[in-house]
Amino acid sequence: MSTRHSATIILTIAAVLVSVVGLMFKTARAQTSNPKRILVLYWDTKEIPANISFDQGFQGGMQSEPIGNYELYNEYLDSRFSGEQQHQLFHDYLKQKYVGRQIDVIVATPDPPVDFLLRYRNDLFPNCPIVFTGIKRPPPEAITTGAGITGLVQQTTHKPTLDLALKFHPDTEQVFVISGTDEHDKRFESTARQELSSYETRVRINYLTDLSLSELIERTKNLPKRSIILFLWQRSSFEGENRLNAFEIVSLIAKSASVPIYSLGSRNVGHGVVGGYVQDAERNGSKIADFVRQILHGTRAQDIPIENAPVSPMFDWRQLQRWNIKESNLPPGSIVKFKELSFWEQYKWRIIGVLTLFALQTGFIGLLLVERKRRQRAKEALDQLNTELEQRIAARTAALASKSHELETFAYSVAHDLKAPLRGINGYSRLLLEEHAKQLDQEGQTFLQTIRSSTEEMNQLIEDLLDYSRLERRELKTERFELQTLINNVLGQKQRETKERAINVVVNVNGGSVVGDINGLTQALNNYLDNAIKFTREVLEPRIEIGSAETLDNCLLWVRDNGVGFDMKYKDRIFDIFQRLNRSEEYPGTGVGLAIVRKAMERMGGRAWGEGEPGKGATFYLEIPKPRPSDLKL
Amino acid sequence: MTNSLHPILLVEDRAVDIDLTKRAFARRHFLNPIQEARDGEEALRYIERWDAGEVVPVFILLDLKLPRVSGLEVLSLLKRHPKYSSIPVIVLTTSAEDQDIQTAYSLGCNSYIVKPVEFEKFMDVASHVEVYWCALNKTLT
Repeated sequence: MSTRHSATIILTIAAVLVSVVGLMFKTARAQTSNPKRILVLYWDTKEIPANISFDQGFQGGMQSEPIGNYELYNEYLDSRFSGEQQHQLFHDYLKQKYVGRQIDVIVATPDPPVDFLLRYRNDLFPNCPIVFTGIKRPPPEAITTGAGITGLVQQTTHKPTLDLALKFHPDTEQVFVISGTDEHDKRFESTARQELSSYETRVRINYLTDLSLSELIERTKNLPKRSIILFLWQRSSFEGENRLNAFEIVSLIAKSASVPIYSLGSRNVGHGVVGGYVQDAERNGSKIADFVRQILHGTRAQDIPIENAPVSPMFDWRQLQRWNIKESNLPPGSIVKFKELSFWEQYKWRIIGVLTLFALQTGFIGLLLVERKRRQRAKEALDQLNTELEQRIAARTAALASKSHELETFAYSVAHDLKAPLRGINGYSRLLLEEHAKQLDQEGQTFLQTIRSSTEEMNQLIEDLLDYSRLERRELKTERFELQTLINNVLGQKQRETKERAINVVVNVNGGSVVGDINGLTQALNNYLDNAIKFTREVLEPRIEIGSAETLDNCLLWVRDNGVGFDMKYKDRIFDIFQRLNRSEEYPGTGVGLAIVRKAMERMGGRAWGEGEPGKGATFYLEIPKPRPSDLKL
Repeated sequence: MTNSLHPILLVEDRAVDIDLTKRAFARRHFLNPIQEARDGEEALRYIERWDAGEVVPVFILLDLKLPRVSGLEVLSLLKRHPKYSSIPVIVLTTSAEDQDIQTAYSLGCNSYIVKPVEFEKFMDVASHVEVYWCALNKTLT
């Protein structure tokens, strides 16, 4: 790559980078141009739970506003720096801090910061709308004049909370109201007194205001029976004690208190109080954010009606259990926290799952058992059927064997009995010819000769028939033997004949052994050779070839001759018993030979067939099946 | 030839076969007298005659298919007889069945010959039997 080329690429990348970065700056500028400024003025410090909760709710509510649309400033009117002079100093601090920085909306929570703002508003943040939360409703002129005011008025819930407590503990005789400490003022107590004065006739109300923590614990430890505590607010900073939050105080009291504690703050639920109608600072924060956003988008504060802050009954489930308060007695819409689920509630679905699985499994096992029983019955029935069938087969076989034996005896007797008279005919015709020839003319002698040859023919027929029937009766003897030996044996018997007729016998068998019925094979090969010798009688140079071949499943043996051959349309017929293709004067024979061959081969699972052409010789085959490995026990 | 004085017992039910056998033997100038038994019972009666002092035959030609008592029964009784079991018994029958041959030998026959149909062959058989059993074979008698 050339230097010039790489320089071009670097320049291009740099240009792209510059334009991208430039675009990013442009976008950022566009987003941050004129962000609205929001100032939240809290009471006390950043750390107190109510402020933390409010901040969470407020920021959560503001999240739907695009980033860069607003800037948030938090200030704290610290209760530890009280008094006219301190307020003046805080005013000066804010004045100097925010000079030249226009605030668009100001939020104040709760009443002390609202009071502060109402007093210094025109000086500090003129023309700035205020959104507030507090117990007191600002005076009407402050709401409507100038930039206006809107917000949430918090409800005092002393009455409903005490109503609840009295409902849960109807035999209550005394109520102990805990409040105060910070600034040693009696703000909470005085509010409570106003609210609860109407209850004085029903129960005795005691106010435990501005006590140190140790005093408070001591007092609440041994309260009389049939009392309840109403915890309003308490923060301790007495006598070198650590400054503790209200919820920390109440949890310390609850540890030793002998009576139920009710409270008005949501933050206290979970620290030993039963519950009560509570304010939720987080929810208030969220609602205030809603108001602020409306103002940011152009709605005038005066046009947003002031609302009551939502209040909801909230309880600690563990305390309900401790004081034996039924959930069904709680007012509608109650929030029950820290509920400990029972084993059933906690693992309901798992238990149901496991039980279902168990039930299914049981069902399956049941089904399997039923199925097994059914199969067993079916098997028994089948076994019985089989036994019956076997018995019937045995009976039939016995009947068949008996019939077969009868038939054998019959064939044997017939052969025997047929031969005896034949012997007579043959013998006496011979004797006649020899001893009484003089009394017979030429024709008479020819007749006698015919009688004799007829008896010979008949004798041969009987012999062949006996051979054929003997084949069926003889036991099949399967053994391994050499093909060459078999051929030599059979050829040996034909030697005289083949020599006399000068037949060229070619054996083309390349070794190998076969497994089969040697008697049957001998008979088959013998018949093939007899035929080959017989049907080459008229050929000038008779030739007989014996060959073999092997396939995967079979061993093939054939006898080929150059004799008269045959027409292939008779290829099946020639293997049937008593079937002949030639006149007996030409080629004598009984028509049993090939039938014997076929029967012998079929008995050992083999085949026999022939191929030929008239005048061109014939080839006859024997196919001997190879034993399957499972049959090999030789 | 001492055997020539002894008779031959021919156990055969068919007159034709008896005649042909006799003629075949005669043709071969067979000198031994030929005794006949036409069934198994008659054959077994010879035992009493031998006990009474009659000359025992040089051999017995036994057909298997006989009326009343079969040839195999005759063979069995003879071959189990304490005195006459040594008389050679030649089975001469039409049957060439393996089973018959096996049974006959197991019962103790001395020879088994299938009766030929052709007269020439029959004469051959007669000739061979004569030479062997009368001239060559040595018996206890």
